Amino acid sequence: MSWEEEVREIHRRRHLAKQQGGKEGIAKQHAQGRLTIRERIDALLDPGTFEEQGKATAIPDYDEDDEFLGFVPANYVVGFGKIEGRRVVAGGEDFTLKGGSPNAAGLRKSVYAEHLAVRYKTPLVRMLEGGGGSVKGGGRRGGTVGEPVFSAPRFRIIADAMARVPIVSIACGAVAGFPAGRLVASHFSVMARSTAQVMIGGPALVERALGVSMTKDELGGAAVHARSGVVDNLAEDEHDAFVQARRFLSYLPSSVDQRAPRTPGDDDPERMEEELLGAVPRNTRKGFDMRAIVRMVMDVDSFFEMGATYGRSQITALARLDGQPVGVLANDCRVYAGAMTAEAAQKYRRFVEMCDTFHLPIVNFVDQPGFMIGPEAERKGTIRYGMAAVCAAVQAKVPWASIQVHKGFGVATAAHYGADAYVLSWPSVESGALPVEGGVAVAFRREIAAADDPQAKRRELEEQLRAGRSPFPRAESFAVHELIDPRETRPALCSWIDWIQPLLDDLTGPTSFPIRP
Amino acid sequence: MARVEIESEVTGKVWKVEVGVGDQVAEGDILVILESMKMEIPVESPRAGTVAELRVAPDEPVQEDQVVAVITT
Repeated sequence: MSWEEEVREIHRRRHLAKQQGGKEGIAKQHAQGRLTIRERIDALLDPGTFEEQGKATAIPDYDEDDEFLGFVPANYVVGFGKIEGRRVVAGGEDFTLKGGSPNAAGLRKSVYAEHLAVRYKTPLVRMLEGGGGSVKGGGRRGGTVGEPVFSAPRFRIIADAMARVPIVSIACGAVAGFPAGRLVASHFSVMARSTAQVMIGGPALVERALGVSMTKDELGGAAVHARSGVVDNLAEDEHDAFVQARRFLSYLPSSVDQRAPRTPGDDDPERMEEELLGAVPRNTRKGFDMRAIVRMVMDVDSFFEMGATYGRSQITALARLDGQPVGVLANDCRVYAGAMTAEAAQKYRRFVEMCDTFHLPIVNFVDQPGFMIGPEAERKGTIRYGMAAVCAAVQAKVPWASIQVHKGFGVATAAHYGADAYVLSWPSVESGALPVEGGVAVAFRREIAAADDPQAKRRELEEQLRAGRSPFPRAESFAVHELIDPRETRPALCSWIDWIQPLLDDLTGPTSFPIRP
Repeated sequence: MARVEIESEVTGKVWKVEVGVGDQVAEGDILVILESMKMEIPVESPRAGTVAELRVAPDEPVQEDQVVAVITT
């Protein structure tokens, strides 16, 4: 007697779990333009690399007379797989079953995703679609209610995982409630523009609570979250979102215990772009394209921007320098002169903390006119978020290089220098406590008012002060490491990348603070 | 014929209006130059078309997301 019968049953159960919500459920998902979770996993991962965990998880289903109907697969699918040959954990709700709202076995597996990633030190990719808990199903006769009083907080692992492994969240369809919370508890989140919405509570809840009737898209569509900062990036569709997830992970180590993967440099470290010489206009009122400058300096095609539509005066991106992944910070002077708004400051702090968590060196292209000012900025509490950004920078442990490109004024400028920063300065830089224009009006108020021609006096004082703002004395005084020809920026930074290699070896392991959403 | 509303990306004030109603514009042409945080902020046409409306004049304040011009394509 062998165990053949049981083995047959094992295979039957595995087969059953793959049926998802059945032909009908799958057809409905496809009709709405969305992939099933198993299709998502296949599209995300290198072909044929998925190793599912809990292949036979299911819950028995009974009818109203407690007659056994059969097994319903767990509606969360999770397992290992590979992205560019590196192991990751991938998981997501099966929306073809009960609208993605977790059934008992599905809930266990969904919570396991974080445990698995932390235990095996691999990145986690969540493909989210679903509405979280449901009032149905709870409180049936008999049995216990709620979690035991001594149980560990259910969300503890979600918080802990953020300090250990890279986490990517993808909103594939409508994401609400707990799944929305999981979406933002990540280092990179992206939503598929055509199929996804993200909401704390959906239209029915909103109508009941507030008497407002809105569609899912009006509440939490791509247009809303491009500006809310809830997701970092928008993707055209699910496939584009998977491409972005794979790209993001290519810059990161598999866990905080490893170094980010340095690829063989395929771009000349000595490359000098002629266009950099005139990239910053001499007229300080004229804007310029900071992204173009960053692209010219970084390895060709390595610039990957995150959060471009939120806190737009600040650019945050990943890139490579001589193959070394780096975090890039840069100001966009075309939006509020690059000033640090409340949103830009929050984006900045989160990005610096992410780089610190995964030990990515930071390269900062500085054009900072200061914290945003004005009534709107005061109402938004900009100074609090701004100071949080400053604190994140000055306590960061990662190697930090700053290129003074244009302006550097006020307290906000302190956010652009980590400890022991390597500081390069372009001839176009202008810095100080306050910009000359506003600063003169404040500091010389009486002198200006007493002059025969106050406007002329103000201009004269501004000119005098501006002449004193030349970057040469700062270089002579060793207040910056080097005053450079802008064309030398890439070679200088690539040398620095070489110098910091031993420092990066020392940084692996968890940081002293846990990064939070 | 599609109408495209062009919004300001920033709060500030109008410094110069560079086109007139009825003008033909190409993609990337500057329609209006705003001044915000002491910088000149050009508002460019996202597409080629004809200027149908100009909703701002020099020295007027502008709010973020306010429509400054409409073009037809």
